[in-house]
Amino acid sequence: MESTMWVEKYRPKTLGEMRNQTEIVQRLRRFAESKTMPHCLFAGPAGTGKTTAALCLAHDLFGERYLDAFLELNASDERGIEVIRTKVKDFARAATISDVPFKILVLDEADHMTKDAQHALRRTMERYTDTCRFILSCNYSGEIIEPIQSRCALFRFIPLKHQDVTDLLNELAIKEKLKLEASGVVALVEVAEGDLRKATNALQAAASMGNAITEESVCQVVGRTKPKEIAEMIDLALKGEFLKARDKLRSLLLEYGLSGPDIVRQIHSEILKMNMPERSKIVLVDAVGETDSRLTQGATEEIQLSALLAKLSSLPLEQG
Amino acid sequence: MSMGTPWTTKHRPKTLKDIAGNEKARDQFRTWLESWHKGPREKKAALLYGPAGTGKTVTVEAVAHDLGFDLIEVNASDHRNEASLNKIAGSAATERDLFGRNKIILLDEIDGINLREDQGAISAVIGMIAVTGSPIVMTANDIWNPRISSLRSRCLPIEFKRLGVRESVQYLEKLCQAEGIEADVSALRAIYDHNKGDMRSIINDLQTALAGKKKLTLNDLEWLGWRDRQEAIFNALGTIFSSRNVLKSVRAMDTVDMDYKMLYEWIYENAPLQLTDKTDLLHAIDSLARADIYFARINKSQAWRLLPYALDMMTGGVSTSRVRTKPSWTPMRFPQRIMKLSSTRGIREMRNTIGAKIGSSIHASVRTSVSDVLPYLRIIFESNSEMANGIADYLKLDDEMITFLRGQESKEKKSIPRSKKTVSKDRKPRRRKASSL
Repeated sequence: MESTMWVEKYRPKTLGEMRNQTEIVQRLRRFAESKTMPHCLFAGPAGTGKTTAALCLAHDLFGERYLDAFLELNASDERGIEVIRTKVKDFARAATISDVPFKILVLDEADHMTKDAQHALRRTMERYTDTCRFILSCNYSGEIIEPIQSRCALFRFIPLKHQDVTDLLNELAIKEKLKLEASGVVALVEVAEGDLRKATNALQAAASMGNAITEESVCQVVGRTKPKEIAEMIDLALKGEFLKARDKLRSLLLEYGLSGPDIVRQIHSEILKMNMPERSKIVLVDAVGETDSRLTQGATEEIQLSALLAKLSSLPLEQG
Repeated sequence: MSMGTPWTTKHRPKTLKDIAGNEKARDQFRTWLESWHKGPREKKAALLYGPAGTGKTVTVEAVAHDLGFDLIEVNASDHRNEASLNKIAGSAATERDLFGRNKIILLDEIDGINLREDQGAISAVIGMIAVTGSPIVMTANDIWNPRISSLRSRCLPIEFKRLGVRESVQYLEKLCQAEGIEADVSALRAIYDHNKGDMRSIINDLQTALAGKKKLTLNDLEWLGWRDRQEAIFNALGTIFSSRNVLKSVRAMDTVDMDYKMLYEWIYENAPLQLTDKTDLLHAIDSLARADIYFARINKSQAWRLLPYALDMMTGGVSTSRVRTKPSWTPMRFPQRIMKLSSTRGIREMRNTIGAKIGSSIHASVRTSVSDVLPYLRIIFESNSEMANGIADYLKLDDEMITFLRGQESKEKKSIPRSKKTVSKDRKPRRRKASSL
């Protein structure tokens, strides 16, 4: 069994190897053939191929040594626009390695930049536009300011279809000599929700526990990525023990390192399964949705989730 | 001057005229004691009561000195049980000591008697008052303290009040003169204001502020702030949690010398403790969550004009949430979130370091790596050392990171050596494999 990260091992190297997002890939291939491209905005959920498409495009444009003409920055990691500006400047000034007159700079998670930083980025993009093309990637294009959007060609990446995820997982299982059962695939596809990175990681984690991948082993993986404290926290909140629930929330966020959206998603799925009046479920789902959208606006995870717990705590306890 | 001697000792008044303030009480006490020269009085005990640092004990000492009484002092640090008090009572029953001098028995801080440890102490005191031939003086902070309720009627109560600003500053000026110190009156007033007429703390603060210097200005007093801040925050929180008034609550914020984000944490921490009704709490936390959204918007778009809305929500919003919660006193506590943030820093740093390793290998941000990839790595590291070793090599993880990934699931058992042993055992084949590649 090969021991590395499968997400990286099986990442397509060229646009030709990319089997999903076919319309996007077609347009990108034309960029590669004509050796010209505009600034691009890749929008879409996690695990749908945004970074892969950028890497493949760079490969097809620049050849094997494409990494010399390719810089990847992460808006959520790189502190401040100044860092980005300096790095962009240094990168854009260096000579190109091929007959392509520009380099590619990928700015991941661009929607995490403040509006001010985005405006500064806009000017940087204009200044170096002759020598450098930008690919911005984000989950929601609405979080990117208009002036940047209007300077970019927009590509919308959609979640992978169940059938596509199924096919890819089956191929991967053959290459890794796994015994992937049909029920296992179904479970994986369901967990992944069109996110191929998640599907691949879950498959590798399941494979680490045994060669046969069954529905059971997939569920075990999923269960272990979700600490039982989440269910306990919901339980405490429903019993009206807000303070204890808030303590659990704190350790989930700070000790386990779960993200706010992770917790929100799991509260959502727990609520649907709970034993309570159907109408209450919908009221709660709305509250959960409100919490999630607040998080996308950059609100504080613990505070917003606390408000959700307070809501659970104040529910009438008739469901027992 | 040496910093070694506390000025409260060095400048302790020896005679009555050196004491600042509470003239009426001092005269009353002196008159009572003088009358003992003509034989025991109707009230054979006096109870000097009032806040700390108002001169109760020092008055007893000074009057004893002035009138030539011998002072027999039993203070809180002595053993004050029934037996030892009875012994004193025995000697008190006689009027004069061996040298023919009059005696005063001083029971300092009588309200500090521990009823369980000093069993029978109060009744021993009552017995002592009954038989004594010498004056008995007691001091207490609170005359209404239930512990001493049975003593009240048997004593002459003499009240000591907090010192006024003028007499305090005058006293401090004299003290400064004696020490050769040049002090701004505004600074002396500030020290007075800070200690609310407690002369002992006033003098302590003066000595600390000077720290051996010969000149005192207001600038030397900045450090005094912290004690006040603590009280100010409690007061402000009290207003916010109980006034049910938007304007009062918003203004309470101005009385606190604290970053509004920190005040927010205080309110957020204490809301569930203060608002015990579930609906009240829901509304309060909702208001705080709304305020948080404004903060996020300000942060994102730098629209500082939104700040007042956030502040109104976090103060007035919480204040008006109180509808059903009954009044009761619950102590405020320091924001636990802040404490947890600092106590879990090590874990989070480790996680982010691993996240950065993952991110640079698989083209993802630290954030994404931590939340979307790390949980799966944990499973792999716990279940399959061969696969884990390969990944550890690939990501260039060190031993500490590997231990972290293996040990996370059972957090409580993290420090058990078992996991470490397993790691080092597994590390060997990993190295072999790496070199064979």
